[in-house]
Amino acid sequence: MAGPGACHDDKEVEAPKKESIYHQVRDFLDKGETLAVATIVSTKGSTPREVGAKMVVTAWGEILGTIGGGCGEADVKREAIEVIRSRKPRTVRVDLLDDISSDSPAVCGGIMNVFIEPWWKQEEGSRR
Amino acid sequence: MEKLVEELIRIQEEGGAGVLATVVEVEKNGGVEPGEKCLIRDGKLRLGTIRHEKLLQAIVREADARLREEKSKLIPLELPAAGGKVEVFFEVLPSPPKLFVVGAGHIAVPLVKFAKILDFHVTVLDDRILYVNRERFPDADEIRVGDMAATLKSLPITPSTYIVLITRGHKYDEPCLREIMHSPARYIGMIGSRRRIKACFQRFRDEEKIADEIIERVYAPIGLDIKTETPEEIALSIMAEVIKVRRGGEALSLSGK
Repeated sequence: MAGPGACHDDKEVEAPKKESIYHQVRDFLDKGETLAVATIVSTKGSTPREVGAKMVVTAWGEILGTIGGGCGEADVKREAIEVIRSRKPRTVRVDLLDDISSDSPAVCGGIMNVFIEPWWKQEEGSRR
Repeated sequence: MEKLVEELIRIQEEGGAGVLATVVEVEKNGGVEPGEKCLIRDGKLRLGTIRHEKLLQAIVREADARLREEKSKLIPLELPAAGGKVEVFFEVLPSPPKLFVVGAGHIAVPLVKFAKILDFHVTVLDDRILYVNRERFPDADEIRVGDMAATLKSLPITPSTYIVLITRGHKYDEPCLREIMHSPARYIGMIGSRRRIKACFQRFRDEEKIADEIIERVYAPIGLDIKTETPEEIALSIMAEVIKVRRGGEALSLSGK
């Protein structure tokens, strides 16, 4: 790390870049793994995360990112494993209409539609 | 897929804006499958697996609207020739909002930390190298040492730029403000007491004939009223105001209290 003495007038100093979820996705794809990418595509009522929030599930059930935690996420994870197995995308409707007295984060009261798709490294020219 | 991932990483690293469109639902198959996608950047199709010409045209058109709104959304699109309907999810990859922190004093230190947590691209400016350096601002994306007004003049200002003027005195704030007042910045805030700000704006009106609507753009005194006492609290109140402007909130307690 540069100290004050290393700075010069008007000189631009760049901070290290933050690793994004796509960097991790690239690493998994490079290893030849198939991933399931789950994205919230629409919501109704109150939901824990916004439209566009993403969660990546690996074939081993590892999770990167979050679509809100709790029951909904567990359901999506289960479906995601299926998507990895079949390599066919699907849309899952997650209901968060739990009993209000429950401790689960699913008491938000909303509904979200989550699109889950398989991503894997393809040979050049295939599926084109 | 790996090409797409590479391009998504590139967009993030370059801080550019893009739209990733994915076919989610297909009603009456017109040669389109769920999971097909394409990436649009700078109004042009970059890459993807969608081959349906008519659908691609509709997506490129819609992507532009999504980008302007900065909101990801599921949109139904018609495929007239095939008599089909598809639902396409448009994921907006907005360029990150940029924050210029002008003045590297005691409020700037917590302010930059908050702004980084909130995912702003942060540039800190000051003319004193003892204040603006990597040790004081390890998380800042850019550090600029030099005359603050001149530096501001050299930086590109866009509608996703937010500018916070917190220099050590109005002697410095005013020339900076003059430099950015007519810029397209989304937010300009300036620190200072009501009395000092009134005097400054009066001078702008009388001596420089600056229009009221230009002066009224400036958030001064800066920040939300949360009865701040410490520099950290002031920094929080400034970032809260920035978020309020960005997202368009009321800044009231949701409980109504």
